[in-house]
Amino acid sequence: MGESNDDIDQMFSNLLGEMDLLTQSLGVDTLPPPESKPPRAEFNYSVGFKDLNESLNALEDQDLDALMADLVADISEAEQRTIQAQKESSQNQHHPASVEVPDFSGAAALSYGANVTAISVSQYENDLPPPPADPMLNLPLPPPPPEPLSQEEEAAQAKADKIKLALEKLKEAKVKKLVVKVHMNDNSTKSLMVDERQLARDVLDNLFEKTHCDCNVDWCLYEIYPELQIERIFEDHENVIEVLSDWTRDTENKVLFLEKEEKYAVFKNPQNFYLNNKGRKEGKETNEKMNAKNKESLLEESFCGTSIIVPELEGALSLKEDGKKTWKRRYFLLRASGIYYVPKGKTKTSRDLACFIQFENVNIYYGIQCKMKYKAPTDYCFVLKHPQIQKESQYIKYLCCDDARTLNQWVMGIRIAKYGKTLYDNYQRAMARAGLASRWTNQSTVSTAPPATSAAPSTGLKTSTPQANGQIPQAAHSVSAVLEEAQRHVETTKDKKPALGNQGPGAPEVHQLPKSSLPPPPPVRRSSDVCSSPATAARARGLGGGFPAPPEDSLPPPPPPPPLDEDELPPPPPDFHDAPPDFVPPPPPSFAGDVGSALPPPPPPPPAPEAARPPRVALKRPPAPPKRKESPGPAVGGGSGEQDFMSDLMKALQKKRGNMS
Amino acid sequence: MAGMKTATGDYIDSSWELRVFVGEDDPEAESVTLRVTGESHIGGVLLKIVEEIKRKQDWSDHAIWWEQKRQWLLQTHWTLDKYGILADARLFFGPQHRPVILRLPNRRALRLRASFSQPLFQAVAAICRLLSIRHPEELSLLRAPEKKEKKKKEKEPEEELYDLTKVVLAGGVAPALFRGMPAHFSDSAQTEACYHMLSRPQPPPDPLLLQRLPRPSSLLDKTQLHSRWLDSSRCLMQQGIKAGDMLWLRFKYYSFFDLDPKTDPVRLTQLYEQARWDLLLEETDCTEEEMMVFAALQYHINKLSQSGEVGETAGTDLGLDDLDAALNNLEVKLEGSASTDVLNNLTTIPELKDHLRIFRPRKLTLKGYRQHWVVFKETTLSYYKSQDEAPGDPIQQLNLKGCEVVPDVNVSGQKFCIKLLVPSPEGMSEIYLRCQDEKQYARWMAGCRLASKGRTMADSSYASEVQAILAFLSLQRTGGGGSGNHPQGPDASAEGLNPYGLVAPRFQRKFKAKQLTPRILEAHQNVAQLSLSEAQLRFIQAWQSLPDFGISYVVVRFKGSKKDEILGIANNRLIRIDLAVGDVVKTWRFSNMRQWNVNWDIRQVAIEFDEHINVAFSCVSASCRIVHEYIGGYIFLSTRERARGEELDEDLFLQLTGGHEAF
Repeated sequence: MGESNDDIDQMFSNLLGEMDLLTQSLGVDTLPPPESKPPRAEFNYSVGFKDLNESLNALEDQDLDALMADLVADISEAEQRTIQAQKESSQNQHHPASVEVPDFSGAAALSYGANVTAISVSQYENDLPPPPADPMLNLPLPPPPPEPLSQEEEAAQAKADKIKLALEKLKEAKVKKLVVKVHMNDNSTKSLMVDERQLARDVLDNLFEKTHCDCNVDWCLYEIYPELQIERIFEDHENVIEVLSDWTRDTENKVLFLEKEEKYAVFKNPQNFYLNNKGRKEGKETNEKMNAKNKESLLEESFCGTSIIVPELEGALSLKEDGKKTWKRRYFLLRASGIYYVPKGKTKTSRDLACFIQFENVNIYYGIQCKMKYKAPTDYCFVLKHPQIQKESQYIKYLCCDDARTLNQWVMGIRIAKYGKTLYDNYQRAMARAGLASRWTNQSTVSTAPPATSAAPSTGLKTSTPQANGQIPQAAHSVSAVLEEAQRHVETTKDKKPALGNQGPGAPEVHQLPKSSLPPPPPVRRSSDVCSSPATAARARGLGGGFPAPPEDSLPPPPPPPPLDEDELPPPPPDFHDAPPDFVPPPPPSFAGDVGSALPPPPPPPPAPEAARPPRVALKRPPAPPKRKESPGPAVGGGSGEQDFMSDLMKALQKKRGNMS
Repeated sequence: MAGMKTATGDYIDSSWELRVFVGEDDPEAESVTLRVTGESHIGGVLLKIVEEIKRKQDWSDHAIWWEQKRQWLLQTHWTLDKYGILADARLFFGPQHRPVILRLPNRRALRLRASFSQPLFQAVAAICRLLSIRHPEELSLLRAPEKKEKKKKEKEPEEELYDLTKVVLAGGVAPALFRGMPAHFSDSAQTEACYHMLSRPQPPPDPLLLQRLPRPSSLLDKTQLHSRWLDSSRCLMQQGIKAGDMLWLRFKYYSFFDLDPKTDPVRLTQLYEQARWDLLLEETDCTEEEMMVFAALQYHINKLSQSGEVGETAGTDLGLDDLDAALNNLEVKLEGSASTDVLNNLTTIPELKDHLRIFRPRKLTLKGYRQHWVVFKETTLSYYKSQDEAPGDPIQQLNLKGCEVVPDVNVSGQKFCIKLLVPSPEGMSEIYLRCQDEKQYARWMAGCRLASKGRTMADSSYASEVQAILAFLSLQRTGGGGSGNHPQGPDASAEGLNPYGLVAPRFQRKFKAKQLTPRILEAHQNVAQLSLSEAQLRFIQAWQSLPDFGISYVVVRFKGSKKDEILGIANNRLIRIDLAVGDVVKTWRFSNMRQWNVNWDIRQVAIEFDEHINVAFSCVSASCRIVHEYIGGYIFLSTRERARGEELDEDLFLQLTGGHEAF
């Protein structure tokens, strides 16, 4: 069974690669997904999809769905067949309707699942006021919306309005997915599925899983514009697809995955930003050391009040704007409301300041080698431009600082002014992530120790490679996950759990999450996966495999996690060796892939609410039979097929498991 | 026992006569004379006084004030000897709570009874409880400034004085809510009106009044206010306050703990009012752009409070909209959109189509506005030479998502332009749309604004956006052309609003009203969807973000320095400021502070910071007690985070801010 996990994952990685190739070669006759067909190998993405998006999205989904359906039908042949399916489905773009069906019910952002099938009745009712909703409920679900609409058109105006609204929501709920090529710092690249709701944080989490990195807070997505010679850190709360959608079709821009200590420098050493300019007169330019307690109180003061405090920052900078070639020196001041400068002959009191720029419509970038390119006084430049501007333009503003330190202060200051508390929330989340990651390494060794004999090898594995970090910490994002985990280690936990509470980053995180507007999607979903659908499978597995999972079986229902974990460890021997080196290193994703994520192993976990899960399974079952007829030809009924492919997949997997055991 | 006489009428015991005046410290007051001994307890004396007066009355609030010592005799079990009272003591038997007139942060006057016998800190806490303002430790009282008689002529209109002197608050428990207000306000229509005054923002002031009010012209002027703070550890009586005096209630410490719009309507409103006046009177400086945001927020807040939308309404939530709201919106759109056949097909997004004049500024060309057929659908604007060509390719198509929308409007000139700065990969393209009238303008403008945020006209906020724009235009129509002297009654509707009442006077001089309105309008678009309390909170936050926010200035003379300088006290730091230039010379943070001491004899404050940095200064503009109290107060406030809760550690506060009993 462990094999099957890896199979799926492996296959998917292959598929992704294949899709890359395929889409590249396809490019000509189909207007469809310019996104999915990378003009260059760099990055499969291009703008314009907003106009085309309907068919495109549909296609995207269908592609995947078809792929997945095939996988289900015959796992061993999946690779070849999916290529076929892909071709077919790409020719067969005219089934947006079926894709929309699920969307409809998922009017709320909640229920979009990786394959758009997540439907939960309860949610549905919550979204729309009960009485009017009823009629619609019937309509949209089975038939493609457009048709019923035309029928309803003749009906009462009120009814029509409702449909209109429904359509509106439907549109909102549409989920795009793109394959994004991310450049690693070792010059390799990784393709991953990014759906349009994922934030940079989610993508990072996803990348953590796929790589062996240590998950520290410095890891970031980084966009670079070779043409403009500018680059920038993605903020963790930014929507990745939205950012990428500003790129042009033929762009050379890239997304990198690397460590940048500038990312959260202010939170590590707030004194460098907040206390720096004070005492300038005394010429103290040293990087003062500050003890942790003072840092904490400084951060609390700056970021946790009714309003955040933007670092006091002012000084002479060189400016190049309006497309001119010359650099003008001016005295600039940073305020929460924007950057100001002192007009000639005026003082720097508030009333005399002239506004240079406000931050709503611009992003801040580092300028690279501006000295050479633009004859800047130094190479310490930052650039402000509207995110959509991709070419040289008079609307891009270049500012040049005297030294690196000043540059970093300005860039960080502007980010604080622009993003405010969000930045701090992001940091805390990142810290929690990193903290859990490191903690997990420790804990996994401890927890696996008891089942001495068979577990021995796996323990070794875990500790020797940081793979384990990749995924497990992610689960710990949510409270429930933490609890689960606690349950899992019944014997050892007692003292562990408090430890978690005390852990610097971990503890705040738990409180933080509810407040932050960012959904903690990956974790929730993962944990729900574990809990709901896989429950039976997992148990079967635990027994059948004869793995050292005795304690788990005795645990109550929630324990699914334990079996998973435990027998995931043991299997490693076979499991791990089989795993293709490139893609599946971390066992976690693989195990996720085996059960719950039958859906979409690669598309990073979308935030499906826990509650949505169980109903979804239930829901899916009934419609399954009829749909099924269509599904045989995945290419044809891609959309509708997807409805039941999950259950199919489950069955297939179970069967397989059964065989194995 | 006291008062035994011999046959000749001489007293034979140690008793003596004590004269006590009844009433407040008025030399003409009636008096009673008692015979007491040194061993008499104060409680016994009180009883005797009441007996002597022979009047039925509730005396429970009365106590004895010893005038010479400026002290209340509140320890009823103490003897006269223990207090050191002799026959020559001038004692007054009077109420501990006396009426004062409070000038609230919103500049309204309110009469209420304040404790004249408790330390001010407690008295303020009691006042705040009455007004239902949480966290009274952030507030304090100031003496009203000396009135300049010549300026206050007869023509000063009689101002409305709210009265809460009759309201009695049950002790201990937090006041329960009744009919949406603390129960003690709901007793009468009068008190109810008072609560509305407290909890709802006031209309903008008359611009003329604004110009007349004194404004600080320099840092030195800004120090004046801070010399008037009363002493927290002493009672009002001890500080020479008399019944009926005017006192200012203000937020003194700029560290606002746990601002909660739901539980703090009065606190939030008063804080907003203080912030607003702070900005209008230029106590805190801001830039032009910031002022426009403040003005827009004031306008918005005023509009909401006038329309009675006090509840949490305006906030609209994308995606989870109430169906009704969406439907209403649709209806409005159906009626209001330029071409009614647009929605024949229900699957389409609402769109606007019309003849508009378009102007695209280009280098070296001076083409004026040209008439085009413009179609606005979803977030995309397309224009054609004529309506006939509409099915074909447009001359240009612009996706407005992420664009900048700038109103360019002059109502009296009948100019309704929308300037769009549309980003594209190549840069920004600038385009002007000229509408015929307000209505057309409002529809297109609302569409553009939504589109710039990536939303379509199907969005539920579209209708309210249109309304907001129309309302704002009417502001310009009525307020714009005038001389800035618009009658400003309490019931002035939003329509009659004068933009000059929303900005500091220096902007009145800088801009004509018709220039001001579009600027405010522009800023307004970002705040138009806020609810009342959200807008107030936003105002307060923007105020807090100003670099000069929350600094209390005092003139000091640093030890070893020959000239006066300014000491700025903020919630986290002390700032040494050059008096003449206004430059920051040095900043010390409280977090680095080891200790501070006050030498009351030479009126010097000495502070020790980490790394053996020592600072000492004497206070010039205010007493060093005020500086001391500010520092101690901020230290006290910074401890709140940890020990969370409503309970005030009064002892700690007095310990940190007092500690000078000797003087």
